[in-house]
Amino acid sequence: MAVFDTPQAAFGALRPVCVQLTRAQTVENVRQLQAHLAGVSGAALQELQEYVLFPLRFALRVPGPKQERLVQSLVQCISSVLAATCVKKQELLQELFSELCTCLAPPPSSGKAAPLSEELKLAVIQALHTLMHSAYGDVILSLYQPSTLPLLGFAVSLLLTLAEQEKAKQIKISALECLQVLVLQCDCQEHRHLDEDEAQQCGDLFASFLPGISIALSRVIAADIKQGHKPTVSAIRLFYLIVGLVMADKQLARIPKSKEKLPVEHSRISELMIHRGPDWTKSTAEKLSLLLHKVVESSSVHPHWKVRLELVELVHHLLRNCSQSLVDSFSHLLKALVGLVNDENSEVQSRCNKILQEIAEQRIVAQNRALVDVLSENLHSLSTALPRLMNSQDDTGKVSTLSLLLGYLKLLGPKINIVLNSVSHLQRLSKALVQVLELDVTDVKIVEARRSGPPGPLQQSVQKGRRQKKYFRFFTEEKVLQLLQQVCRVLGYYGNLYLLVDHFMGLYNESGLYRKQAAMILNELVTGAAGLGVDFLQAREVPLNVDDLKGSITSILDEYMDQANWYLVTGIDTEESSPEQSVQHSGRSVCAGGASSSVLLLSPEPPVTTRTMNSNIWQICIQLEGVGCFAAVLGKEFQLLLLSALYPVLEKAGDRTLLISETALGTLADICEACGYDSVQCLINENSDYLVNGISLHLRQLAYQARASQVLDTMLRHSDASLLPLIEDVIQDVLSALDQSYNSQASTFLRVLHSVMTALVQWFGMPSAEEHQTDKGQSGTRSQGQQEVTMTSQEVERFFLDYVSQKQIAEGDLPDLEEEEADEVPLAKPEPNSDMEGEAPMPSHAQVARDVMERCIHLLSDGSLRVRLKVLDVLELCVTVLHPHGNHLLPMAHRVWPALVTRLIGDDPLAVLRAFKVLCTLAQTCGDFLRQRFSKDVLPKLTSSLLSQAPVSARAGPVYSHTLAFKLQLAVLQGLGSLCERLDMGESDLNKVADACLIYLSAKQPVKLQEAAQSVFLHLMHVDPDSTWLLLNEVCCPEGYEPPHASLHPVKLSGMGRPRNEFTDNVLLLLQRLQQQEGTGPGTSTQEASPS
Amino acid sequence: MPQNQAAFCDNQGCVRSENGLIHVWNLKTHRVDTALDGHGRKSVYCVETMGGKERLLSQGRDQRICLWDLAEGRTSVTDSVFTEHVGFCRCSLLKVAQGRWLMAMAARSLEEVQILELPSKTSVCTLKPEVGAKLGMPMCLKLWQLSCGSQPVLLAGYEDGSVVLWNVSMGKVLSQLICHQEPVMSLDFDSEKAKGISGSSEKVLSIWSLNEQQNLQVYKTHELVNAGISDITIRPDKKILATAGWDHRIRIFGWKKLKPLAVLDYHTATVHCVSFSDHSKPQERLLAAGSKDQRISVWSIYAQT
Repeated sequence: MAVFDTPQAAFGALRPVCVQLTRAQTVENVRQLQAHLAGVSGAALQELQEYVLFPLRFALRVPGPKQERLVQSLVQCISSVLAATCVKKQELLQELFSELCTCLAPPPSSGKAAPLSEELKLAVIQALHTLMHSAYGDVILSLYQPSTLPLLGFAVSLLLTLAEQEKAKQIKISALECLQVLVLQCDCQEHRHLDEDEAQQCGDLFASFLPGISIALSRVIAADIKQGHKPTVSAIRLFYLIVGLVMADKQLARIPKSKEKLPVEHSRISELMIHRGPDWTKSTAEKLSLLLHKVVESSSVHPHWKVRLELVELVHHLLRNCSQSLVDSFSHLLKALVGLVNDENSEVQSRCNKILQEIAEQRIVAQNRALVDVLSENLHSLSTALPRLMNSQDDTGKVSTLSLLLGYLKLLGPKINIVLNSVSHLQRLSKALVQVLELDVTDVKIVEARRSGPPGPLQQSVQKGRRQKKYFRFFTEEKVLQLLQQVCRVLGYYGNLYLLVDHFMGLYNESGLYRKQAAMILNELVTGAAGLGVDFLQAREVPLNVDDLKGSITSILDEYMDQANWYLVTGIDTEESSPEQSVQHSGRSVCAGGASSSVLLLSPEPPVTTRTMNSNIWQICIQLEGVGCFAAVLGKEFQLLLLSALYPVLEKAGDRTLLISETALGTLADICEACGYDSVQCLINENSDYLVNGISLHLRQLAYQARASQVLDTMLRHSDASLLPLIEDVIQDVLSALDQSYNSQASTFLRVLHSVMTALVQWFGMPSAEEHQTDKGQSGTRSQGQQEVTMTSQEVERFFLDYVSQKQIAEGDLPDLEEEEADEVPLAKPEPNSDMEGEAPMPSHAQVARDVMERCIHLLSDGSLRVRLKVLDVLELCVTVLHPHGNHLLPMAHRVWPALVTRLIGDDPLAVLRAFKVLCTLAQTCGDFLRQRFSKDVLPKLTSSLLSQAPVSARAGPVYSHTLAFKLQLAVLQGLGSLCERLDMGESDLNKVADACLIYLSAKQPVKLQEAAQSVFLHLMHVDPDSTWLLLNEVCCPEGYEPPHASLHPVKLSGMGRPRNEFTDNVLLLLQRLQQQEGTGPGTSTQEASPS
Repeated sequence: MPQNQAAFCDNQGCVRSENGLIHVWNLKTHRVDTALDGHGRKSVYCVETMGGKERLLSQGRDQRICLWDLAEGRTSVTDSVFTEHVGFCRCSLLKVAQGRWLMAMAARSLEEVQILELPSKTSVCTLKPEVGAKLGMPMCLKLWQLSCGSQPVLLAGYEDGSVVLWNVSMGKVLSQLICHQEPVMSLDFDSEKAKGISGSSEKVLSIWSLNEQQNLQVYKTHELVNAGISDITIRPDKKILATAGWDHRIRIFGWKKLKPLAVLDYHTATVHCVSFSDHSKPQERLLAAGSKDQRISVWSIYAQT
């Protein structure tokens, strides 16, 4: 189809169609016109606009009923004309507007909307929409004069009805969009921006519609979800646009006091006009508040995120434009906004955050006292309800409640202090926090979990800043805790730190019920005050004063580390009497003595339940975490506080409760990081003067001894050899303290001594141990080498000679060997040792070891088994440390011997076992020095007891393995083998041992004893394979031996040819092992050797 | 080498000498702020502040008395006096005017005491006992004056156990009192009550008073459990006094009636000296004691009420 560019050409083309339409108003004609219109260019059509519109309008205006289809096509045609042209005349606009509206008007008789087809309605709405867009610049404003108010009102009510009552989604949306255009708030950019006066005028005008529009819209918004999200979104948008326009603070501020008088001819209309005075504003705001509440309620939980997003926009828009006029509604609006911060949809979330940020940045809240009031009121009611909500809601509910709380605080920002200064507000808030943070203290495991024994590896891998996971009574979700932390931090960030610290310290001291929570809150407050980990919307006005912070921290620390709060009962170990208990105990005894009274604080306590202990443990942990927090907050400044803080923390690091010691280690790591130390070790070494001072002071008071020793213990476990010179003094103090209280505190001090010795072994003991091992290794290979040489006659001869000389040595006949002599010296005359001592000064660690060993001698015969066991452990370590200093070790060994022998012979099997261990270590280091004593003092008794017990155990039933006698037997058998090997015993002693153990190879013995006896023989095989072989073969000989030469006697062993008996199995097993050990050669060599 | 220690407190620090080094301790951090080396690593047996903590006087076994300037972190010897005295007698300092001190010290010849004016180092007089008095070496000195501007007076304890009151301006003995059978180890004097106290290596503390005729009279003696007192100090408020004992203990007495108040048991060797700080708040005043066991103990004597 040709395109008509010029008006003339277009006119030529359109004229017949228009004439035709004027004559007969049929759908067909309208369609023809529309078809022709498509071929006319926009510019040309503009010229012909009125001409073309005329027949269409005429057709519409023809009185009488019309076909709906006709009307629809007419309206569509009009709208297509309008879409391509623009309306330049005011009259045309108004007429068209009213004509279009009339199309939808109901018959004058009925009050209901005309029962028109949906297509028609849609067409009219779209035509109106197009009309509004095609109106040219100022022309459109002519529609917004007081005189056109009825017309506008008519249109508005029409559209509202459509939006509200129509079923079709499309119509609803179009109607709402059309309305939006109608109130001059179209989204598109084409419109001219209204200047202030014009906007004011429109605001006046629209004020008349506000009630109708807002009510209708709120119904639309709150309508069934089934209508889909789009109408709701449009309705919300329209709602806030119109409210924002009419109730705009800027406009309201300019409203004159009294109503303007309009010219007389408009008097009727002027009645319709509304004066937006203060009274009107107030009442409207009240009504709107109700509506807004409804809107917020329904849309904040709307399932579609776009609706919620639009709600956010609503709050934003109103807050920006109407923060004064609608102040009462903001309690709902802000609640919605803050609540949506945690929306599941990320877009809503980010938008919310952005808006909150913007609000804070523009200081909308800060500058508006009324808003602060609203917020603080919200805060108040929320904190009142918080405990209940926390109790009843599920985790998601809790999260949203708390984020609401957090949002309020953040919005208040620096104005928080206004809230905090009100006693009731502060009290509510703090009580709520305290109640919500209540810990669950029913877990028994926490009380039970003990630090694994002190000798374990140094725990260097301490995680920094890791907090212990806490279990709360009212929630389990981690997110909830994070929110609560944020709440506290934000409080600390903005709030008056002195006030807050003072208040929560008050709670802390008020009742044991609040203590843990208050401490937790205090920790977070301080963290927040320093601005660490706070998520805030606007920076505070006054930067933090470091001195204030330091002052607060110091006072909190003092309180935390106060006796009554730091030393709590965390366990009721009966065995090693937990430090706290012993403190209590000794505290009483001290009080009886009338010396110290401060310890009394602890004594009169009701019986301690697991619950209280758990609670105490947590309290200590929280306080420890607090110390870590404070360190992190103060950084290097914390160094000054180390003087008072380091000691208690180390004390707790040595606590026996796992949780406490772990937390304390975490705290230490925090301190290291804060003060710039590379490791805990550095921290301890560099500050050892503080610690040593504390220890030496506390060691002087009985009640504190246990704790002081804990500190030393921890120091030792986390440091290295460089610490030794620093703590030598203190070790001496410990020893002298021990000297004064052997009875009561022995076990406490033994723990320290144990850790001292463990540390010494670790720091200084290693090289000697290695040396020793290589020594042994060499001798081992040497003996192997000797035996693996293939036998020649010379060698056989030499073997005999060796054998003879060995035998003589064993019998004590031939003491000429150098080695022997050297060993003999210390035995015969111990005096030369003291001379040696004078020559080479002992290294300090060896001195310590010697001093400790000295104490061990006294304590070896302590009444308590536990103490004796511990002493034996310590003794073993002492021996290891002293090993390289034989001149000192041997005299000490000499002195230890009698006490040790008593342990070996007549003590509990456990002690015997340990004593054996000590003996083995001693044997390793002292070697021959002990041989004779052992064979004289110990061996006879051991063998005889073994022999006498054997028949008992052989006969005994299964219960026997639980008896002491059994354990003793087992212990002896298990230890004897290695001992013989270590001590390099003589043949006669070995025979004794072998004889005693042989009966335990019987199958009648309990299996464990059999195994232990086997182990003895395995050791004996190492020492003297030949005689062992012979002995075993005497019992049972599996095979016969042919002499290699006729001149030799046939071998006759008493074990040959015996029937199978109780020993056979074990002996065969041992022989087999012997065979393996010796390889191929020894079998023949022994065979040749034995007959001699 | 014997470890000789002197200790005293001022508002912030505590000074201790050891191995010829003077350590200035910070009582807040409990760490050494500065170490002063001015006596050629010979042991220092007397340290005094000269009004405030900026100026310091120290006396060492190198027979020198050094004046230190510690202001603004300096650590320099401003002046020194060669005493030529070989004993252990500590010098005594008296402030007579702003920036002017009198110092009494044992002089070269055995029985003499010399009075110098500081900082000019001009000799004021030399106090020489009468020929044949046989007092022996001076063991301890205490310069004092009744009130500002009045005649300075010196109390000196001698080897033979006597305490002598000298008129410094006239160089004359005013009074002499034999308090002890053994050398006087230490003395202190309360000019308000005109009473003094001295200790020796015996088991007894001797309290004597000074009457209006400037005569020393034995007022009272106090029997001790263990013998040997190395230092006696009356607290500046004249309420209590502390003694440093050879029995490793510090004893606190009420000054008025010499009522025993406390035995401070901490050291493991002879206590050499005791000293009180003069903090403006009584609660924060401290007592420091130095001992042969290489430790200084700092005590808070006031009960916190």
